[in-house]
Amino acid sequence: MKNKVKSLVLLLGLLVATYLVFFILQPTRFGSAESLFILLQQCLLPSIAACGFYFVLTMGLFDFSIGANIILSALVACMLSVQFGFVGLVIGAILVGTLVGVANGFLYLKFKIPSIIATVGLMIIYECVASYLAGGNSYVLAEEYRILGQAPWNIIIAVIAFAIAMFIIKFTRTGIYIKAIGKNEPMAQNMGVNVSKYKVIGFILCGFFTGITALLTICYSSTVIPVQGMSSMSRNFTPIMGCFIGLAFKKYVNPVISIIIGEFIIAMIISGIMTNGLDSTLQNTIIGVILLVIVAAMGLKNKGKAEVVK
Amino acid sequence: MSKEVLIRTQDLSKTFGTTKAVKQVSFEVYKGEIHGLIGENGSGKSTITNMITGIHTVTSGEMFLEGQKYEPKNQLDANRHGVSIIVQEMNTIEDLTVAENIFFGNEELFIRNGVIDSKAMNKKAREYLDVFGFDKINPADDVVHYTFEERKMIELVKATYFNPKLLVVDETTTALSHDGREKLYELIRHVKNRGGSVIVISHDLQEVLELCDSITVLRDGEHIKSFPVTDEITEDDLKKHMVGRELSGKYYREDTHSNIEGEVVMSLKDVNVEGILSNINLELHKGEILGIGGLTESGMHELGKVMFGALENQTGTVSLPQKNVEIGSIKTAIASGVAYASKNRDQEGLMINASILDNVCLSSMDKLQRKGFISPKRERRFTNEYATKMNVKMENINQFVSALSGGNKQKVVLAKWLGRDSDILVLDSPTRGIDVMVKASIYELMQELTKQGKSIVMISEEILELIGMCDRLVVLKDGEITGELLREEGLSEEKIIHYMI
Repeated sequence: MKNKVKSLVLLLGLLVATYLVFFILQPTRFGSAESLFILLQQCLLPSIAACGFYFVLTMGLFDFSIGANIILSALVACMLSVQFGFVGLVIGAILVGTLVGVANGFLYLKFKIPSIIATVGLMIIYECVASYLAGGNSYVLAEEYRILGQAPWNIIIAVIAFAIAMFIIKFTRTGIYIKAIGKNEPMAQNMGVNVSKYKVIGFILCGFFTGITALLTICYSSTVIPVQGMSSMSRNFTPIMGCFIGLAFKKYVNPVISIIIGEFIIAMIISGIMTNGLDSTLQNTIIGVILLVIVAAMGLKNKGKAEVVK
Repeated sequence: MSKEVLIRTQDLSKTFGTTKAVKQVSFEVYKGEIHGLIGENGSGKSTITNMITGIHTVTSGEMFLEGQKYEPKNQLDANRHGVSIIVQEMNTIEDLTVAENIFFGNEELFIRNGVIDSKAMNKKAREYLDVFGFDKINPADDVVHYTFEERKMIELVKATYFNPKLLVVDETTTALSHDGREKLYELIRHVKNRGGSVIVISHDLQEVLELCDSITVLRDGEHIKSFPVTDEITEDDLKKHMVGRELSGKYYREDTHSNIEGEVVMSLKDVNVEGILSNINLELHKGEILGIGGLTESGMHELGKVMFGALENQTGTVSLPQKNVEIGSIKTAIASGVAYASKNRDQEGLMINASILDNVCLSSMDKLQRKGFISPKRERRFTNEYATKMNVKMENINQFVSALSGGNKQKVVLAKWLGRDSDILVLDSPTRGIDVMVKASIYELMQELTKQGKSIVMISEEILELIGMCDRLVVLKDGEITGELLREEGLSEEKIIHYMI
C-alpha cells in the first residue's frame, strides 16, 4: 500500500514541519522536551472529544453542543465529587456526558431538522441548565481529586478512551454500520441497517467521549464556570478540527491515530503563536485561517467534494 | 421432468407517486432455470426484480417462494430467504473492506462475544474469492482501491456465497469487459447447476436467447407473454413482443413525405468543436423534423448544445438567416426563439426541487413582467394554460417537479418552451425513460408543432423513433456527418447503423 505510507509520511511530516517552523522562530521559548510533554497532555482533551465526534461526523452529522456538554458534565461531576468522591467525579462526568448524547440523538430524530441546528439549539439549553445548577457560582474541584488530571493518570485515562474508540471503529458492527451509513445511507438502509438507531448510537458515543473529556477538563483546570450566549462554542473548535483531520486521512490511517497527531499539531500551532507574542485578535485570525485551509484542502483531496454535513 | 415453481408473483403492482410502474404482473420462474426478463426502457423490469429482492416495497399483489407467501422487508431479508441481486450500478460501500462488504448485514457469522473476528472474516472471504479465481482481490483492503469491474466481481461473491435459490442479474453485462462477462456467465451457470434459478435482465437480446431457458416480456409495466426458448425464436420475435403490434399503427408518423421545402430557419457553417465535432454543415427548414442519430459518443448531444449556444469552445457559425441572428450564447438563442430540452432532464432541463409553476415561468419572465413587476395571477394563468395544453398529470401547479414521473417532467420542460412560443425546438432524447403512452403523446405533439410551422431537431439514440418521426435524418460518427437520409427514400435500421459504425 503505497498510499498508506504516503499518508503516514504526510501526517508525520506535517507534525515535524509545524514543530520546526515554531522552533526556528523561537528556539529558546518553544519546543523543549518539557514543553512538548505539556502540549501532549493538553491535546489529550480535544483528542478524546474528537474520537466521539468522529462517530457523528462520519455519518455526515454535526454536534455543536460538545463545548456545552463539557461544561455541564464537568459541573455536575464537580458537584457530585463533594458527596461521592472519586466515584461521583468519574461516573458523574461520563454519565452526564452520555445522557446529553442520548438527548441529542433522540431530539435530532424527533425534530427531523439538520443536526447543526438541533445541536445549536440544544447547546444554548445545556449552557442554561449549567447556569441554573451553578446558581451564578463557579465550582472548584477539591485538591485531592485533581490528581486524575496529572501524569500518569490523565494519560492512562486517555489511552483507555482511545482504545475503546479504536475497538468500536474496527471490531464492532456499530463501527461498520456507521461507516456504511456515512458513505451510502440508502444502500445501508436497504441492506437492513436500522439507520435511525445507529444515528442515535453515534450521538450517544459522542456524548460518552465528551464526558471523558469533561472529567479531564475539570481535573486540569480545577474550576468550572458556566457560560451563556454560546460562549461554550470555543470549546468545540479543537475537537472539530482534529476530527476533520482524522476524516481526511481515514482511508489510510486509523482515524484515532490521525486525530491524536492532528490535535498535537493544532496544540503546537496555538502555543507557537502565543510564544511569538501575537495579540489575541491576530491569534484568532490565524486559527480561523488554518481551519479554512484544512477543510478546503480536504475538499480538494476528495476531488472538490467536501464531505457534506447534514 | 416435471418442473417445480420456485417463485410466483400474483397481480404484483408498484406505484411511484402517480406513475404505475408495474401493473398486476403474474409470472413464475421454475427451479433450475435461467429466466430472461425483457422489455423497453420503463417497461418495469427492474421494478419487478427490485420488489422480489426487497429493494422496493410492494404496492399490491403477492409473491410466493416455493409455495410460501414471501414478503421481503429489505435486501438482507431477501438474502435470508435465499434471494439475491446484482444490480446495474455500483453496489459496494466505500470505506469498508472487501470482506466487510461481502458479509455486510451478516456480521454475526463472525461475532464472538460481541467482537468481530476480522481474521476469520477475511479468511472466509478469501475462500469465496478463490472459488471464482479472484486471487488479485485482498479481503482486508478497502474496496475504494479496486476498479469498477473488480468491485462488480466482489458483488458477485456477495450475492452468491450463501448459495441463493434465486439470483437476479440486472443489466450487469453491459458494464463489464469480455472477461468480466465470461465470469458472470460462469457464475450464472454455476447457480443453475446447483439447482438454483437466475433471472437475467438484459437489452442484449442475442445474449438473452443464448443464455435463457425461458423468457418473460414486459411492456409499459404489464406482463405481455412468457414462453420457453426454442430454436425457432429469433431476436425479431422478441422485439415484436417488446414493442407491440399497435405501435406499427398510429404510434409514429404515417406519411412518407419529406417535408423540407420550407425556408431555412437555422444554418450551421463549418462548426468545429475540438475533439468532439468537425466540419458540421447543416440546415434546418421551417416545419421540418430533423433527426440526428449516432452512438452516444458520436458528438450528437454536443451538436444539440451548439445549436442552443451552450458550448463555448466552438468555431464556425450557427445562424438564423430569417432573423439575421448569429447564436453565440444561450441568451441570444432563447431571445431568438430557440428552445432546448437536454438529455439530462433532471440536471439540465428542470429545477427539480421547485414547483411546476416556477419551472414553466422561468424562461418567460420577460414576457410575464409588466413594468418590472410580475403578477402571481398572471404566472398562474400562464402555467395553467401550458401545463393543461401539455396534459401534465399533476395535483396542481404548485406541486414540486421532483414528484412527477419522467414523462410528466418532460412535459413540463416542453410546456416551458411552448410558453415562450419558441420557433425552433432542439430536443435531445425527448422520450428517454418515458413510458409508451407519454411517448405517443410527445410524438403527436411534435407533429402538431411542425404543422404550426415550428421546426424540430430531434436527437435520439433510439433508431426506431428517428425512422418513425423524421423528415430527414443525419447520422454522426466520431464528430462527423457520415450520412444524410430522407424519409421518402425509405429508412431502414440497417442503413442507419451502417453509417453509425
